[in-house]
Amino acid sequence: MEVSKTCLDGDVRVVNTGCCHDCGGRCVLKAHVKDGRVTRFESDTGDDPQIRACMRGRAYRQRLYSPDRLRYPLRRVGKKGAGKFERVSWDEALNEVAGRLKHVKETYGNASILLMASGGNQGMLHGPLPVGAMLQEFGGFTRTWGIASYEGAMYASMATYGTIRTGNSREDLLNSKMVILWGWNPAVTIQDPGTSLMLARVREKGIKIVAVDPRYTESVATFASQWIPIRPGTDSAVLIAMAYVILSENLQDQAFIDQHTVGIEKYKDYLFGVDDGVQKTPQWAESISTVPAEVIAQLAREYALIKPAALIAGWAPARAAFGEQYSRAANVLTAITGNIGVSGGYASGFMRAYSSREFSHKKAMAPPDREKARPTGNPVEDGALPRKYSLHKLYGGTNPSGARIHNAKIFDAILRGRTGGYPADIKLGYVVASNCLNQNPNTRRGEAALKALDFLVVHEQFMTPTARFADVVLPVNTFMERNDIAPPWLGSPYYIYLNKAVDSLYESKSDLDICRELAPKLGISPMMYNFSEDEILQGIAAGRNDIPDYGAMQRDGVLKIRLDEPVVSFKEQIENPDNTSFPTLSGKIEIHCEHLAEMGDPSVPSIPRYMPHAESHDAPLAKQYPLQLITPHDKKRAHSTWHNVSWCSEVEPHVIAISPVDALDRDIRDEDTVDVFNDRGRVRIRARVTERIMPGVVELTQGAWYDPDEKGVDRGGCANVLTRDEASPGGAHPMNSALVQVEPSPQD
Amino acid sequence: MSQMGFYFDQTRCTGCHTCRVACKDWHDLQSEGVNWMQIETIEKGTFPHLFLAFMATPCYQCETPACMAACPSEAISKRVSDGIVVVDPDACLGREKCEKTPCLKACRSRVPQFGPEENAKMQKCDFCLERLDQGKQPICVEACPMFALEIDTLTALQKKYGSSQEAAGFRHPVKLKPAVVFTPKPENYS
Repeated sequence: MEVSKTCLDGDVRVVNTGCCHDCGGRCVLKAHVKDGRVTRFESDTGDDPQIRACMRGRAYRQRLYSPDRLRYPLRRVGKKGAGKFERVSWDEALNEVAGRLKHVKETYGNASILLMASGGNQGMLHGPLPVGAMLQEFGGFTRTWGIASYEGAMYASMATYGTIRTGNSREDLLNSKMVILWGWNPAVTIQDPGTSLMLARVREKGIKIVAVDPRYTESVATFASQWIPIRPGTDSAVLIAMAYVILSENLQDQAFIDQHTVGIEKYKDYLFGVDDGVQKTPQWAESISTVPAEVIAQLAREYALIKPAALIAGWAPARAAFGEQYSRAANVLTAITGNIGVSGGYASGFMRAYSSREFSHKKAMAPPDREKARPTGNPVEDGALPRKYSLHKLYGGTNPSGARIHNAKIFDAILRGRTGGYPADIKLGYVVASNCLNQNPNTRRGEAALKALDFLVVHEQFMTPTARFADVVLPVNTFMERNDIAPPWLGSPYYIYLNKAVDSLYESKSDLDICRELAPKLGISPMMYNFSEDEILQGIAAGRNDIPDYGAMQRDGVLKIRLDEPVVSFKEQIENPDNTSFPTLSGKIEIHCEHLAEMGDPSVPSIPRYMPHAESHDAPLAKQYPLQLITPHDKKRAHSTWHNVSWCSEVEPHVIAISPVDALDRDIRDEDTVDVFNDRGRVRIRARVTERIMPGVVELTQGAWYDPDEKGVDRGGCANVLTRDEASPGGAHPMNSALVQVEPSPQD
Repeated sequence: MSQMGFYFDQTRCTGCHTCRVACKDWHDLQSEGVNWMQIETIEKGTFPHLFLAFMATPCYQCETPACMAACPSEAISKRVSDGIVVVDPDACLGREKCEKTPCLKACRSRVPQFGPEENAKMQKCDFCLERLDQGKQPICVEACPMFALEIDTLTALQKKYGSSQEAAGFRHPVKLKPAVVFTPKPENYS
């Protein structure tokens, strides 16, 4: 439904829609449409809280009407990856895709089809959903697990609380007496659009905000009154030392610990060196993290004594080797100080305080089948055993199916297959809503992997680095050209209804319509395709318990759900422990997690531990590559989306940030061109010499498009050329655990 | 005349550039580098004692605009009703024909700008006149996710927010009397 109203331009229709890519936020956009074209945008001018779009959403016309939009189906004519394609008809393109799918199915079996899907271009309907439905009906496919953004945080949340519904809703921060932003820059990442405004109000109310981060970010500068720079990868050491201070000085909430947690004694054995002879003192943590011992002790005392206090553990430090340990250490700290289930506190975990999607700690459920992974309807996963290290005895979180391949390992899996220990030999790749070559670790290995596939089909809007390696590229429309519903990732209480603003440009189609045409060529007719777009959306909405009036949501383009009071996760468990338990195996918050203990593997310790790894700051490799690379989000993009939009990219050039100390050592000046490299690859990029990054650390924001020259040197500044394609046992991607060297570039 | 003015709460600004891009979209400023709203980043200090702020610069609609005085063709004028400084593109000679383009040098805040097209005419922020006429705030104000911007009569803004005319990244040019009020970000902010 499109809504017209009188506006400034007279004959302009205003379509209530929204912005919906992979930042996690979902924002209101009101598209002014004249003669079938979007001419300008407004954002939310309605009731509080307004869901105002950021720069990226505001710049959407440059993406929608970009001259680089893919217009027609394309078929590769040059070598794989050369980016040479010819225009073909939809019929030709889909015949080829169908033929290849059938051939691979018949020759190798369905498990040889790998769906590489992500959230880059996804609402509740469009994106990977219709493709998955099609491939499932076709006999199944191998799918991936391990979300780069948050898998470590998710695993830790499940291990500690048995759920990912944690934390309190944002407005409750006003009830805190202290807020700690740990490795979190919401001013740039957005996630929940109202977060920055709320943090500003928290500060203006006089509530102390402390930020722990290796960078002096926009969030640190705007919200925090204390900045604690910390060496990447050592967050867990500092959190563990804080627990040491609290427990050795008897500042813990013992009543809370006794009533609501299990395993404090095991954690104490670690903290006080009973099990390894090392006391986890602030001095111990200082030697690892560079954070002065007295700062650690002071922060610990403050956090324990000023109640209630909110420790919000961002996901970034968990995007690291053994990133789960950081999240676990943060979660446990919130427990031993009793900051859980109370207004003003915050159960650090996954942050999804409000959501009608997860209900695991709201509804009693039958115990899961503990011998097998959860059934999925995907025949390839039928009967699959739980994956090693998976928390398969718990509900929620990531499906533990052992038939899946971790996203950080898909390139290795393609190259090595079953002989490399993977569940399938992959022959055909199907990419939707994903720029996986750019966004998964170790891009150059990814290049080899995509070249090794028999066939690669990519649904895309632009000729991304991934699409360049395709055999067939199918042009997909944007959310301005179709209807969809979108809740924010972190589950703030609202939905955006994306009303179609304009017809699909050129020959582009929605993912749903592509599959509708492809399915008959595969000889299948998935039930989903019998319904119209609107019927499917109505069905999706009916599955939620908080959309009372679909028509009103569609008309308004947004549904803001009114809560009587802020959401406080685990309030029931804390206030009424006799009748409510945590959905863990013990029914309590697990400081010591029995599920992990049963695995008996030191890489998944039952209590949080600081665990060095092959690319820690003090690893042997650091002699050769002495700088720690971190790859955070960039305000100019959401991952790799908007990379090619000049209204955004003109903010500042893409650079590698390096401290003056490290720059001087290397004879590098601001704006010099430098090479950033390790054994995985080499990036040539402009240096930004800045005090805003701590010495020993360099920052290359992720998402810029891979653009190798003839020698294989990336001129595009793609961070994943340098990141390591390993996965932590719990699934954390080591995006912030790469060692590199930086040196002035050779003269071209 | 009631002079219209601009309010900027520098303590709230995260440097997100939403105002700048909302302006470019609303006024269809396709060219890279042409920004009626400019955002400057101010970084000071030595690790770990740092200061970071942003300065949002639309046009502050000076009471005695230097650009107006400098224009050789009287293309820049100040509206009697609200003091908003506007440019008449028909009267503007254009970048090449004007040759010296003195408006560029006159304004320290680089408000007057020219696009890349041949003999481009000067363009600048006009507080979204047509939106003001409709009783709406300018698009930048309505866009700011931090609610850090406001437009009103200068008197009303001063009454609400005080009379700070300087902030990090902006020194008050006394003679020009820019119609602006800041909540400045002090250097000892954190």
